[in-house]
Amino acid sequence: MGELPELLRGEARRTAEVWAGESQGWVAYVIWIVLGGALFGAAVGWWRAPLQACYTALKLPLILLLTALGNGLLNAMLAPLVGVPLTLRQSLMAVLMSFGVAAMILGALSPLLAFLVWNTPSLAEAAARDSRNHGIILVTQAGMIALAGFVANLRLWQALRSFSGRGKASLRLLGCWLAGNLLLGSQLAWVCRPFVGSPQLAVQFLRAEAFQGSFYESIFGIMRRLFFP
Amino acid sequence: MPPLLPTANAGATTRPEIMPLGEDPADREAIAGPLAAVEALLRQPRRVVYWARQGSAGRLTGILFAIALVCSLLYGIVVGTFSLNAQLWAAPLKVAGGFFLSALICLPSLYIFACLSGARVRVSEVCGLIAGLLALMTILLVGFAPVAWIFSQSTQSLPAMGALHLMFWAIATYFGVRFLQHGFSHFGGRPAGLRVWSLIFVLVMIQMTTALRPLVGTADSFLPGEKKFFLSHWVEELQK
Repeated sequence: MGELPELLRGEARRTAEVWAGESQGWVAYVIWIVLGGALFGAAVGWWRAPLQACYTALKLPLILLLTALGNGLLNAMLAPLVGVPLTLRQSLMAVLMSFGVAAMILGALSPLLAFLVWNTPSLAEAAARDSRNHGIILVTQAGMIALAGFVANLRLWQALRSFSGRGKASLRLLGCWLAGNLLLGSQLAWVCRPFVGSPQLAVQFLRAEAFQGSFYESIFGIMRRLFFP
Repeated sequence: MPPLLPTANAGATTRPEIMPLGEDPADREAIAGPLAAVEALLRQPRRVVYWARQGSAGRLTGILFAIALVCSLLYGIVVGTFSLNAQLWAAPLKVAGGFFLSALICLPSLYIFACLSGARVRVSEVCGLIAGLLALMTILLVGFAPVAWIFSQSTQSLPAMGALHLMFWAIATYFGVRFLQHGFSHFGGRPAGLRVWSLIFVLVMIQMTTALRPLVGTADSFLPGEKKFFLSHWVEELQK
């Protein structure tokens, strides 16, 4: 578990010590991401098919790790610019820590999601009969992800503040990191879809058109059709 | 002048419920076996919480889980006496299985919510408290068993028997969750997170009764072929 219980309680002092000294702390964070992300991903994908559960269990931790690594350099450069003196290693550890906390919370909630999926008609039946089941599953997933994200970012801010001693600068840095991670993470999620899948489409690891288009183009298209039909 | 009668609180010092665990000598009395565990759960829950925090908590946790298993099987038999035949073995399996599955599903989130609420608790201690929760719930259900059996033999109404079992379960759950919250209060946690978890636990248990149906009635298969949420199931049964 490492310092996970202390982090969940909001005791950031030990985390700050880990960032300052211990060089292997990132191993625990990666384990949390893989374990928690795989459990939650499996629960998400299970509604479509067991094979989709395996695919999503692989993809969710991959997206978290790729987002942390892909933005590693950017996050490290932003830190001193906004007034938080973190090195490249420390900023990477900070992001991995927050992703790990979120993943472990999602992993702990995954049995609840799996139980909900078990009690819901299969995706094909639900799509044919009643869209409320689809809505319940999506709202539950969104709620769990929102809770995990909120707690993880709150703890990240507390850890940054404890490490640097600068509350406002830590908040600015958190905002910058969130924006950058959202940008990269949403596109990685777009490329790596599907996570639940569709009963009209075969179960696939990646869609054939994975590298055609982007998340934001899709959002733009939806908004345009909504307001300018 | 006749001597004054002693007041009820003469000699009392601090209230026991705010005393740290272990300071009251009664907390440190060992829990030797299942009967002692049952008595401690009902009369001295602080003893159970104290020993759940000790290094030898594994033995106590095992005893509490064993109590929960035996009591849930016993109550399940009483549930099955309404329909008899296959329900005499199916209902105990489902009642016991439902309790343990619900606890297993909710255990990881209990640890997370406990930590988020600030409680300094280990996974083994959470397991001990969950075991105490299940044991207390099922002990109370066994206490209701004679009443449930009388009604089983008296009425032919499935909804009425279902409602009665639900009422007994609700009372048992109230005391079980109260034990859990009392236990966590000694770990330094704030109550808000635990209240959320308690709601989740109650919903999971209620849904489990629908997922494992029928518990009271009869069916062609051990488990239902159709999946539905508990509210839909209750409405359909009431409309029959």
